[in-house]
This record gives sequence, structure tokens and C-alpha cells, in this order.
Amino acid sequence: MISLIEKQYSEREIKAVLNPILKEWFFNTFKEFSIPQLYGVMEIHNKQNILISAPTGGTKTLTAFLSILNELLTLSEHNILEDRVYCVYISPLKALSRDIEKNLQEPLNEIKEIAKKYSKDIAIRIGLRTGDTSTNDKSAMLRKPPHILITTPESLSITLTSIKFRDLMRNVKYVIIDEVHALAENKRGVHLSLSMERLEQLNPGFTRIGLSATIAPLEEVARFLVGYENEKERNCKIVDVQFIKKMDLKVLSPVPDLININHRELHHSMYSLIDRLVQEHKTTLIFTNTRSATERVVHHLKEKFPKKYTENIGAHHGSLSKSLRHNIEDRLRNGELKVIVCSTSLELGIDIGYIDLVILLGSPKSIARGIQRIGRSGHRLHETSNGRIIVLDRDDLVENAVLLKNAIERKIDNIHIPKNCLDVLAQQIIGIAISDRINVEDLFKLVKKSYCYRNLERKQFDEIIDYLAGKYVSLEYRNIYAKIWHDEDNGMIGRRGKLGRVIFMTNVGTIPEESYVKVKIGEEPIGSIDEGFLERLRRGDVFVLGGQTYEFLYARGQTAQVRTSVNRPPTVPSWFSEMLPLSFDLALEVQKFRRLMEERFVHKRTKEEILRFVDEYLYVDKNGANAIYEYFKEQYSYLKEIPNDKKLLIEVYKDPERGTYFIFHSLFGRRVNDVLSRVIAYAVSRLQHRDVEFSINDNGFYIRGNKDVQVLRAFKMIKSNELRELAKLAIDKTEILKRRFRHCATRAFMILRTYKGRTKGVGRQQVASTILLNAVRQLNENFSILQEARREVLEDLMDIGNATIIIKAIENGEIMVKEVNTNLPSPFAFNIVLQGYSDVLKIEDKIEFLRRMHQKVMAKINT
Amino acid sequence: MKIYEGLEIIDLGLYIKDYKALVISDLQIGLEESLTKEGFFIPKLQFELIKKRLSSIFNKIKPDKLIINGDLKHEFGFINKQEWKETIQIIDFIAENCKEIIIIKGNHDVILEPITNKRNISLVDYYKMEHICILHGHRIVLDSLNSKILIIGHEHPAISLKEGAKIEKYKCFLKGYYDDKILIVMPSFNMLSEGSDIMKGETLSPYLAQNLFDFEVYIAEDKVYKFGKIKNLK
Repeated sequence: MISLIEKQYSEREIKAVLNPILKEWFFNTFKEFSIPQLYGVMEIHNKQNILISAPTGGTKTLTAFLSILNELLTLSEHNILEDRVYCVYISPLKALSRDIEKNLQEPLNEIKEIAKKYSKDIAIRIGLRTGDTSTNDKSAMLRKPPHILITTPESLSITLTSIKFRDLMRNVKYVIIDEVHALAENKRGVHLSLSMERLEQLNPGFTRIGLSATIAPLEEVARFLVGYENEKERNCKIVDVQFIKKMDLKVLSPVPDLININHRELHHSMYSLIDRLVQEHKTTLIFTNTRSATERVVHHLKEKFPKKYTENIGAHHGSLSKSLRHNIEDRLRNGELKVIVCSTSLELGIDIGYIDLVILLGSPKSIARGIQRIGRSGHRLHETSNGRIIVLDRDDLVENAVLLKNAIERKIDNIHIPKNCLDVLAQQIIGIAISDRINVEDLFKLVKKSYCYRNLERKQFDEIIDYLAGKYVSLEYRNIYAKIWHDEDNGMIGRRGKLGRVIFMTNVGTIPEESYVKVKIGEEPIGSIDEGFLERLRRGDVFVLGGQTYEFLYARGQTAQVRTSVNRPPTVPSWFSEMLPLSFDLALEVQKFRRLMEERFVHKRTKEEILRFVDEYLYVDKNGANAIYEYFKEQYSYLKEIPNDKKLLIEVYKDPERGTYFIFHSLFGRRVNDVLSRVIAYAVSRLQHRDVEFSINDNGFYIRGNKDVQVLRAFKMIKSNELRELAKLAIDKTEILKRRFRHCATRAFMILRTYKGRTKGVGRQQVASTILLNAVRQLNENFSILQEARREVLEDLMDIGNATIIIKAIENGEIMVKEVNTNLPSPFAFNIVLQGYSDVLKIEDKIEFLRRMHQKVMAKINT
Repeated sequence: MKIYEGLEIIDLGLYIKDYKALVISDLQIGLEESLTKEGFFIPKLQFELIKKRLSSIFNKIKPDKLIINGDLKHEFGFINKQEWKETIQIIDFIAENCKEIIIIKGNHDVILEPITNKRNISLVDYYKMEHICILHGHRIVLDSLNSKILIIGHEHPAISLKEGAKIEKYKCFLKGYYDDKILIVMPSFNMLSEGSDIMKGETLSPYLAQNLFDFEVYIAEDKVYKFGKIKNLK
């Protein structure tokens, strides 16, 4: 059962169970137990599974470790501490692991000192094992095993696969998963959930401790943490102190009027505003969402204020080298930086020293992420977190005003946890087979204990076993393609070949590899694009990067030269996208606000009344309220319609040059819009047999075609029970599927990044992956790894689940569909038409397209 | 379709009418095994696909001679298992349909003799028929320079066609000039890879070092489509 802990324990109760030495150390160091400690320490002491959700600085880590140290200390005191691992601590970041090691070693040394006073020798050891750990250190660990092992999800699965290390793990009593919110939402978490069950198989019933920042629903995250036993969820207690820190949040616009201003002035004002905020504080952390924007902001701040920003400004993002990143982190901790700009990379809890202001440039796109980021300021629990969101257009303003309302009112959007990932399953089964022989029936049971696989179908499981046993190739070659040994007579699987373990260790993991090239205008960095994307660019192509459109000029080495493009729509779909998608729950909240606003316009409320409502409902300043009022008023005056959660507005706009736009005001976030737009485009193309162009963003999408294009008819034909099938067909020829297939094939070891001592570059991998995909398709269109690539695109990248809910709501009348014709796009439609990323749905097969292009070219040549 | 006087495009092959000779190039047998050894586990499919494709050509024409214009197999310095087996099988299959087989050495065919010796097939560096010279094209052959028509492989040409946001890639023949000689570049007869996009302007063969964008494009799919010069497609 999952249950919330309602009552704090008393200080007396905790003190009663603490070892005197630990108690002395604790009260030498701290005045009192923190709130998370009052809730959590005793539960862990009683070996209860627990999920602790608290903001950064919430003393979560010590809460988790206190009871464990207590136990180890007592064992050591009595000289019965054995040479094996008692506790495994897992964090998603190597940097975080290093921090924790340091932050644990210091107290331990202090505790040892105190123990010495009483002539006691404490021999608790801490060990760090990550991808960076040297072979020497690893073998040292085997000789003298750490009692607390600090590791990453990937290294944990290697540990479980290594013969000797595995033996040290047979009696693990506690596992701590830090930043569980950041793991649960992607395949690393799925991978980890299976490692946890592998560990459970070695020593059933260990205590699971999850530490999480702000996230919802906590019950689901708890289930992810603890998994299932005999098809029933294991017990888990939840400590919810997400909101113990005070927050001071504001949405700021750099100018009073966001509409009558040109780009240059707006940007100038934005940098002045950033500068002012930075100067008013000691140390500021800026989140920009993308690597590209990070570089850009640093560049412009230095350029505009050359005296103020020199050595005291730093950039931090994933593409920087490790040493550069460490350098920045160290300088930040030492207080040498005035301002640090990052993409998303400092969201997680690595120690970054004293931050008193967080600026979000652009929307964090989800309430939870917003709170997590802002929580990075005011590191201690009693301090206030200061957050400022700077918005640059009116959609941004509305979105963030609603986001802020929800943050303040503590409504958090729901996390998406990937499920039934067949590629991760394949990789883990390889790991299991290397370390042990196991019957497939038992294996199936083991897998289903993980929250991520509890609904896995037997058929899918069997297909993965068949794949791993090499059954997709003829018997003659099976020994080359098979990853595991499988005896069909007795149902046993096991290791195959001598290389298996090395291959597993060098290829383990789920994070896809990508390579990027820099995009520049002259010398000014704009951002970076994926190498595969560059492949598709030709001179003159227009593409979207970080919300702006650019024209591609040429590429040289690792740099692509572009220029800002004037009012031309993108010619190349950006199937790669660094942009964070708007969360579905936040989207619905924005739609609800739109509805409340429309009701007031319909009922002819006065400006004052509506402004008062905005002021009460949202937490924006006067300028903000005014801007929002004007925005909605323009929309309402123009169309007499404001799209909202109960009304899907479809605006049909005929552009004299570009054809007819069908603009869907479907503010459901791009993950849902990606599905809806593709399915409609697919339905149109099937109805009329012609490619259709479409473009999406978080607030809606458009489909564009020539005059007779029957978008509305096609839309009405789509049934919720067919949506998934249609979507599957609609994504079948996309670049994104190709790319995700590469990721999945790599996770499933159909592609080995590192093999026989050589590591292949991303480009080479993609070339081979294209050949592989061609071959797989000729073998079986429903090959398990291809199935997984489709699932990943539809469920994880896009959001087929909520898209289906929307179509259902339209079917049963909960959402009304309303069509209007316009001569010019309405104010709410502007951003949808102008930016957004476009793609084309290919319906014509290759030969039809060839014929048509041939006629076209011939016509051109002959005139 | 006629690409030049006496030269006809038949699927991915080039048919020299007067000599009843069919030229194909760059089969790259053994590609799957080679990639598999690198850690890309590609199932073996090429053999059946190549056989099928050749059969359909033999249904259309009955050549006397079949000329394989280089890179019959994939590996450079040695012969892998798949190559041993499938190369001989392909040769035998061709032998059932043609009287004579000529294999031109490509850059991948460093070691081919053990296979050709088994079947008593002539292995040559290039092959001349009056004014026509067939050669792989990875390096300049002096003796080719007195021929009027040069036919090369090696390049694996393909072309991407683009309309709006849509893009598709097709294997293609190219026809242009090398000095004053007609130069025909053949697409690969490999069934798994798509070829390299000529629109990128990066070429391998020294014969293609000049005037690339003046070459004419012929795409062979369900039939042959003549597209005119590359520069018109940009």
C-alpha cells in the first residue's frame, strides 16, 4: 500500500534510537532535526520503503542516510560490520555522486573523530563507482568493499552483471535513489527499475528510499520506486514536504507593451532587465531551456555590458567538456561568479553554492519544472526562493502567469513514466543472462515486478526473447546474431559467447548519443543543430532554431553559417527539437483561463471588471494584467470567439499566395498537437492523395493545402478508437522514427556503439542504422525493436494517450468544435502561423513523387 | 531507355547492345557480415535480393556477356565467410544466364582471385570494347584515355529530390564528360544502401573532379526518368 505519512515523529523518539556517537555528531553540527528528518528518519529506521519529496536544501540526503549511518555505526562499534555493501546510493549524475561522496565522507570523518574520544574505532567505508572509476579503484573495492556504494543507474547494472561485485551485493539492505523525479520520466528510470528487481532477486526485501524534488503524482512515483510483489504494489510511505520553502515568484515583461515593439528593442530591454536583476542580487542563476540560448545570453551580456560581465559570468550546459563544466561548478561554489547561465543542466541537485535569484528566460513549460528551478535559489529551508520569469510575447505571458498561479496554489502537473520499453527490456535480459541462468517463466515474473512492466504482455516478452535468441535470422547464422543462449526444451536462458560481458559493460545505458554542429551568424553563435539535420539542409533552406527562423548558407567543418530569415516559413521540418514541450496539465489550465475570460467578454463585463478578475485570478502586475486583457480583447473583438478547454476553434484562413490554412487552436502542448496534426494530415492525404504540410507549436497547429483541401472532413472522420493505428501510419515515413529506431536498436544491442575495442561515431551509426531499418522492414514490419521505436515516438516523444482523450471528448460533446473563416489570422493564431516547426506528411510513395517531380522538372526545362 | 548511342539503361544495369553485354557494378556482397563484425547486426538479405533483381533483368534481356564493374564484394584485404559463399553462388547464378562473365577489379577487390579461380573467370583491371572502356573509376587508367566512352562505377551515385519540406533519395546514372570523352557513372547494385547524394557535390572518383553539375541525371525506378542536368535540380 502507498500511504502518506501524516504525522511527524518527535525529537525524543528519534534521539532514542540514535547511537550516542551519531547523536553527538548531529547536535554538534545541527541545532535540531529538520522537518523531513522528523518525518522520515524513523520510517527508514523501521525498514519502511519511503519516498521523500522536498525542495533543494531540504536536508533530504541526510534524512535518507541518518538511520543507515546509525545502523552501520552500531555494527562497527561491535565489530560485526562485514566486508560487503549495506547501502547503495544511486544518482542520475556523476557530478552529484561526487558531491555526495564528499558530503558523506566529511561527516564520517567527524564521526570517527568523536568515536576516537571514546576509544572506539569506526571502520565504515564509502566507495564511488561510476563510469569514470578506474579499473584499479574497482579492484580495490573488491578487496575492501565499501559499506556504502555510491553509483549511477548504469554502473549499478554493470555491478549486477559482474561476477565478483555481484557477490558483494547479496546482502544490500538499503537502496537510495536520488532525484527520482528526473529518472522516472525517461528510459534511464525504466532501466533502473529493472536493476532494482535484479537486486531484489539477490536479496529480497531491501529498503527502498526515494528522494525527489517537486513532482506529481507522488503515489505514481512511489509505485515506480517500489514496484510490485505477487502482482500487488509493495508498501511505500510518502513524505510530502514539497512546499516547505517560501517562494517569491514574479512574471516580468521587459517592456510595458509586448506588441508594438520591434525585435531589437525588445531584446535590448530584456538584457537591461536581466542586468538590473543580476546587479540587485548576489548570485543569479539563469535558465534558458536550450544550449543555443545559453551561449547567446552569455555572448550578449558580455557584449552589452563589457565592464560588468567578464570573468564573473559562466555558461553551463551538456555540450561543454567535463573539465569546463567542473571548472564552472567550482567557481560557482567558491562564489566567484555573479551570474551563471544554463540550459537545463543545473536543474538537478548538484551543490552549486549560494544562489539568491533564479531567472527563467522563457517558460519552463511545466509547473513542476518551474518550481524545481526556482527552488535552486535560497539553498536553506528557511530561506525564500526567488524566481523571476521573463516573457517575450503575449502567449508566453499568459502561459507563465497561469503557471505561476498553479505553482503558488500548489497544483503540479503529472509526470509521464515510459512503460513496456522493449529495447531496455532486451538490454537488461542480456545482463541477467550474463550473470545467471534463469527460466523464462521466472524471468517474466521478475520483469513484471517493475512498475514500468507490470502490464507487459506475454507476447511482447516472447518476441524479445526470440529477438535475443536470434530467431529473426536463419538457423545457420543464429550464433552470430543471438545475444543470449536459449534452450527451448527446458525454457532456460543464459550467457552466450565469451564477449558478452565486455559488450554489456561497454554498451550499457539508455541515453542516446547525438552529435551537434554549431550554428553561427558570422562569428556570433546562434546555437547548435544535430549533424543528421545538417545533412538535410541545402543553401537557402529556412529552418527553426530556438523559436527563430534562419536561412542556411553553408557548412564548414563543425560550423553551419546562417542568416536571419525574413518572413519566410520554414522549408525544412525541424524533426530534432531542443524545445521543451508544454505539459498537458498546464495547457489545460491555460485553456480554462481562456474560458473564464471568454465568459466575461460574452457577458459584456467592463474593462475594470475583467482587469479585476485577471488581477485576482492570476498573480501578475498591472502591466501584465493590462497586456493580457488587451490580448484577449483583440481576439474577442476580431472573432467573437476565444478558444478554450470546452471549445476547439478551427480557423480557416485563405492566404492569397500560400493557400488555405486550417488553424487548430488546440492548446494542448506540442506532444498532443504532434499526434493530432499528423493524424489529420494523414487523413487528408489519404482522402485526397496528396502530401499535406503542417506546423505545430504548444498552442495549436495548422494544416496547409490548396483550395480544395478537405481538412474539416478528414478531421471528422477520425475516431478515438482508431487514433493509435492512424498515428502509427502517420509517423511511419518520418525522420524522427528513423532516428528513434537508431536509439532503440542501440539500446537493444542491435547496434553496438563500442565493439572489439572500437567506438563508432554518431554519423556512422546512423548510416548503418538506416541499412538496418531497411533490412528489418523487409524481414518483419512488426519487428519488436521497430515496434518499440514506434511506441517511443507515440507515447514518450508525443502523447497519444492525451490525444485520444481529446478526440473522445470531442466525440461525446465535452469539447465543441467550432469553425470560423478569417481574412487574416486572429491574434491567437499569429504565433501558430509564424513560428512553429513544420513537417510534411508523405503519402505519395517514392515512385509517384518521382513521376511528379519529373514532370515538374521537364516542364521547367522546356519553358 | 537509351542513355547514349548503343547504350541502354535496364534497371540498375547498363546494356551495351552491339556486344550483348550487360554491365552492373558495386554489388558489395558481404556487406552485412562486414557491418556485423563492426557491431551493426544487419540480417543477411542481399544475396536473395540481388538474385531477384538480376532475374527480373534477365527476363527482359538475354545478354551474352555480363560485366561486373568492380566491388563485387565488400571486404578489402580478405574474403569473409559470407563472401566466399555468396559470391560464388551469384557467379554461378549469372553463369546459368550468360555465356561469359568478366569481372573488373574495384578498390574493394584486392583479393578476388581465390574466388574467380574456382570458377575460371577472367579478372581484369579494365575492359575495352572498341571505343568503349569499362573501368571501376577509383583511379585514372591511362589506357582508358584513348576511348570515346568511359563507363565507371565506384561512386554509388544517388540524387535527392526536394519539394517544400519533402525530400526523397533515388539511385541514378550520371552522364557527362571527362575531357572530350563521354563519361557514364553507374549506380550501385547494392540492395541495402541508398547511395550517396550527388547534390552534396562531394565525389570520390578522379574522373568526376570536373563539371559535376553539368552531368545529366537518369533515375531508374519502375522505368527510367531523364532529369536533365544536375544544376537544374538545385
